[in-house]
Amino acid sequence: MAHFAVSAVGADRPGIVAAVTAVFLEHGCNLEDSSMSILRGHFAMMLLVNAPDGVTEEQLEAALTDPAARFDLVVAVRRIDDRVPTSPAGEQWNLAVYGADRPGIVHRITQLLADNDINIVDLTTHVIGEPDQPVYAMLVDLTLPPGADAELLTRRLTHLADDLGVDCSLHRVEADVL
Amino acid sequence: MTVRPVIQLPDHRLKERALPVPCIDETARQLAADLVDTMRASPACIGLAAPQIGVSLRAFAIDVTGHPKAHSCHGEVVLFNPELLLAHGPVVAREGCVSVPHLTGDVRRATEVVLRGLDQDDHERILTADGFEARALLHELDHLDGLLFLDRVASQDAIFRRKVYR
Repeated sequence: MAHFAVSAVGADRPGIVAAVTAVFLEHGCNLEDSSMSILRGHFAMMLLVNAPDGVTEEQLEAALTDPAARFDLVVAVRRIDDRVPTSPAGEQWNLAVYGADRPGIVHRITQLLADNDINIVDLTTHVIGEPDQPVYAMLVDLTLPPGADAELLTRRLTHLADDLGVDCSLHRVEADVL
Repeated sequence: MTVRPVIQLPDHRLKERALPVPCIDETARQLAADLVDTMRASPACIGLAAPQIGVSLRAFAIDVTGHPKAHSCHGEVVLFNPELLLAHGPVVAREGCVSVPHLTGDVRRATEVVLRGLDQDDHERILTADGFEARALLHELDHLDGLLFLDRVASQDAIFRRKVYR
């Protein structure tokens, strides 16, 4: 067994997922975690694939040239460690940042998170609003390490958001077990 | 006290539509006791439906007592053959389920509900609930129709795209 990380991006149209995953099926691979979404009209796929012994990066890449050509996709395949790395434990929080688009929002917010030892588990950004007045929206799921001071973090984030001219809100994600 | 094993995905019994409880007798009351005992045994679990312990009957237990998000609170409730009479005011919130380990999802549910069902003495009970208790009731009611929160997850994109700033 070997694990591969596969990414494929191309102008959105029906059939991309079916064409790409057909290759894995033909090679006896199993799809594990994946994330696929439309990013500004482009369909972007990220997949972790579990392949039987003997299947190589080169074989998968070669087999993917067919769907890549048909759908005009940029494809990359990389072998990854079979062990599952563990993410830091802690409380799940959600951060929303939004405001007039300008360079540096993602970098400066995430640098602040990194400086505070906060792990990002999911991040999406979208440019929304009217073309002449674009609004940047970023949603982050993050893990606050045990003992972290959420109030202090909120103050720091608010201070930085003011500096960037955007709004932000941080709240705990409490999934209720029903 | 009987704590029964909670069945989890991919057990297909979770996807079956449960049958009405034929009569509220000692067997039904034993089921109610098992539901409450099993619910109490799972940390942070505030509701459990009969299909989750492998019993394909229309019954569930909930108790939102002491939950920080609860507004209305009827304490420990067991309902047989519940029906939804009214649902109003949908809101999205994140849910997990003891039958769906490791996943949570944002689910849109009504915040004001009226349910009718039978209690353990075979008397009709009308429950008017709101907020978190309403969510819990709807989640358990879904289990009786073979629906999991995964069947109702609201798309994250949909939340984003609807935002309009002017």
